Amino acid sequence: MLATSACTGGGGSSSPTQGASQAPVSGAVTGEITLQTWALTPKFTDYLNGVITDFQSAHPGATVKLVDQPGDGYSEKVLTQAGSGTLPDVVNLPPDIAYPLAKNGLLQDVSASDNTLDATYVKGAVDAYRYKGVTGVFGYPWYLNTDVDYWNKTMFSKCGLDPAKLPATTDELFTQAATMHQKCPDDYLMSRKPGLGDFTLAGVQVLNGDGTKFTFADDPKAVELIKRYATAYQGKLMPSSVLNSDYLGNSTLFTQGKVAWTTGGATSLVDFEKNNPSLKNNVAVSPALDIPPLYIQGISVSSKSKNLATAQAFAQFLTNAKNQEAFAHLVNIFPSTVSSQSDPFFSQDDGTSQGKAKVLANEALKTAKSLTPVEANAAMTTFLDQQIALALKGDTAPQQALKTAQDKMNSLLANS
Amino acid sequence: MTTVPTKAKSTAARKVGRTAVPRPKRPVKAGRLFTPWLLVVPALIWLVVFSLWPSINTVFLSFTDARPLSSDAAFIGTENFRTLLADPQVWTALLNSVIYMAICLPVLTVVPLLLAVLVEKKLPGITFFRTAFYTPVIASAVVVGLIWSWMLDDRGAINGMAESLGFVSESIPFLTDRWLLLISAISLTIWKGLGYYMIIYLAALGNIGKELHEAAALDGAGAARRLWSVTMPGVRGTMILVGILVCVSALRVFSELFILTNGTGGPGGEDNSLVMLIQQYARGFSGNLGYASALSLLLFLVTLVPMLVLARLNRKGAR
Repeated sequence: MLATSACTGGGGSSSPTQGASQAPVSGAVTGEITLQTWALTPKFTDYLNGVITDFQSAHPGATVKLVDQPGDGYSEKVLTQAGSGTLPDVVNLPPDIAYPLAKNGLLQDVSASDNTLDATYVKGAVDAYRYKGVTGVFGYPWYLNTDVDYWNKTMFSKCGLDPAKLPATTDELFTQAATMHQKCPDDYLMSRKPGLGDFTLAGVQVLNGDGTKFTFADDPKAVELIKRYATAYQGKLMPSSVLNSDYLGNSTLFTQGKVAWTTGGATSLVDFEKNNPSLKNNVAVSPALDIPPLYIQGISVSSKSKNLATAQAFAQFLTNAKNQEAFAHLVNIFPSTVSSQSDPFFSQDDGTSQGKAKVLANEALKTAKSLTPVEANAAMTTFLDQQIALALKGDTAPQQALKTAQDKMNSLLANS
Repeated sequence: MTTVPTKAKSTAARKVGRTAVPRPKRPVKAGRLFTPWLLVVPALIWLVVFSLWPSINTVFLSFTDARPLSSDAAFIGTENFRTLLADPQVWTALLNSVIYMAICLPVLTVVPLLLAVLVEKKLPGITFFRTAFYTPVIASAVVVGLIWSWMLDDRGAINGMAESLGFVSESIPFLTDRWLLLISAISLTIWKGLGYYMIIYLAALGNIGKELHEAAALDGAGAARRLWSVTMPGVRGTMILVGILVCVSALRVFSELFILTNGTGGPGGEDNSLVMLIQQYARGFSGNLGYASALSLLLFLVTLVPMLVLARLNRKGAR
């Protein structure tokens, strides 16, 4: 239970510094706070309002105002709010967006007032809000998701591959991509260049232990990985557009029917079929290759909130097992609470592709890992992408490309 | 006592053609003095808040290590400028911007003039051509960029046509080769800009008296000679203006390269423009505002050079 009394310090006065613990939150759970969500209304307005009503009934005198921001440009919006001192009291933030805010003392260390975090939420989810160099936990884990693989069955059959024998590892992916190219030179199985997450998958240490330096270029496994992709690219196993594609490039090409494989969340199939109806009943689903990635959404509390106790109490309430399970029953996401992991709702296959994707994703979450460190910002990953593109083309040796990227990323990291 | 007029006064008197008689001084009402200023105050506030202050702030930030979430930016002198001078990405982007300008400037200064001369004639159906040339201008840059991306893709319309006609055996890497990508973006800019500058020239052509063309024709001047000796001197000032506009937009190119490279700056970032580089450094929570401001200042200075050259050419020509 959230500690709301008998502690020193007043709500809203907390001004944490990097690496310093914050004082526990005190004060009555009253007053008005604002909850900011990320692209959840109008689809989930009723759910959110229901949670708000329950909270207000449990805490007379407390009022929660719901604000939803559109999906595009969310991080820029949060940045503007943080920079202008108008960050809402309770904010839906994934760990990578919460990280710079926590580093700058703009988020409340929720562990200072709540010692039940590790018992309530799955370990990986809580750890995602613990950052190197900053003491504390800067968000309540909310819901989890992961990627599964989607395959175009028609393209498989047409190009000499068996939709019943989908690639299960990266090795098999490369082999089947070569088979597809042989039979159908104009079709592709692979359509993405590797990134930091792929280095983690290959067992490469991307960042050193204290988060101060990138180390991937020093590992021969990373060089080997880039060489392998370069050979595949130059052997025309991938479309040339991968050199200029962003991280959503492969799902776009999959939707257009130009490539036979993409990764996506448990709900992606709905979008694929909506944007290209010819994919309906024509997509096979399988678990992510190697280690599935872990995506986490959380609820953070602004350290500048005028009603800090109310804000933290609401963040905890919104992310409790009951409310998370109710939310996960509405949409294909997964609760981050320990007690919800045995809920049969997530392990039952209803026979549809979407149902299968849900069950696969639920299973994958047991081994899923955050593959990209939060320290890697957009400027860093853009530069790495550019260097990898050069290596794929054969304009730069893989070792040199990785070294150049690492040096630049380290200089950016040192100044960030 | 006779007042001896000063040199200035007598010159003024000569100019108006009458003897200078000192006027009796009238008291100026306070309202007459302040009213004009009151009227310009809203515009002045707008100018200071949204134009002058951000510009001055950019100069200030370029000497600091400012970050989006950090309120205590430290003054670091010329470090950002030293870093950018040693940054190969900046030199690549600068080279791209200069090449962009070097190609766009002559093409977009001359070709729209020729188009304007062609469509200026009052012929049946000429409105269709005027509209056709202007259509790319009103089309959204994003939509145009996406259409060009599809056309230039490895399996796009142009490559498909070239391959089916047997001109090439392998796709031309319009979107993945450094120079072809840059040339593609320049072509897109030219295609989109022709109609815009054509309209400006059309307005200028309307100010050249018909009698000049008729006199030149009577003297035996052909169409080319009239273009060179009558039309071009008549639109000289407009050509300088178009030149300045083309230089500024070419050096500040963003959307064409951004869309054709999907925001990546091309393989290796070799097709970044200075504006794209500024965007890459300034965006996000960990953006380096100080460095991005230094890049902005560099872009400002680079843009200033051709503008000053063209302005000087204009002054020389006017003499």
